[in-house]
Amino acid sequence: MKIKAKQKGDIVKVKVLIKHPMLTYDQAKKKGTEANFITHVTAKANDKVVFDLSSSQFLSKNPLFRFSFVGAKKGDKLEVTYTDLKGNTKSSSKKIK
Amino acid sequence: MKRREFIRIGATALMSLPMISFSKDFRKEKPDAWTSKKLDDAIKKVYGDIKPTEKGVKLKTPEVANNGGQIPIKIKSKIPAKTVAVFQDVNPESLVAIFDVMEGQPVDYLIKIKMKKTGSVYVILEGTDGKFYSAKSSFKVALGGCEG
Repeated sequence: MKIKAKQKGDIVKVKVLIKHPMLTYDQAKKKGTEANFITHVTAKANDKVVFDLSSSQFLSKNPLFRFSFVGAKKGDKLEVTYTDLKGNTKSSSKKIK
Repeated sequence: MKRREFIRIGATALMSLPMISFSKDFRKEKPDAWTSKKLDDAIKKVYGDIKPTEKGVKLKTPEVANNGGQIPIKIKSKIPAKTVAVFQDVNPESLVAIFDVMEGQPVDYLIKIKMKKTGSVYVILEGTDGKFYSAKSSFKVALGGCEG
């Protein structure tokens, strides 16, 4: 997971790139394997959820997300967690610049 | 106290609690919405029978998506929001994603999506005012994105 978080005035602008095959049901069928894609992404700053997304098989492979939030500043930690269809979970943190 | 009475009082007590911001996993909250094939059905499964006003939501998409597997979708709005849902009308299922907007947080998102072919993206914003706002963007997809 690549996270970039930058404070711009009151707002923190975030860019997240998650490495994930995001295999749709159709794609999986063709490959003779099981579908697996990210179903939930959450970001927390100072123990508060600041971003939350429930998703489908239609997000791109190695999906990119951009979002903004308020309530944190430079030096604070941003933690991004995702869950996929198979139940795998991965978290990554980055200090806000 | 009879059980029914107890439950009724319990439910009322819960309703008077202040709104605590828990983030929702809409995959679990609205499982049927994710398998709806048609746009109208998907919208209904997420929000019920709503009549959104087409204003207040900025939806930016490329005019021509060269790669149907990586289509950037930008969503921006100043309307205080509870949730923002993204749909399209060409893939096997219509619902793409649902943002659970935390209290006081801005709606300013970019996501990248797959679309099978030329079609439209629809965004519905559920305002904290209880009203619904929408935006639609139609564009061409040069190379379909669900197969690759």
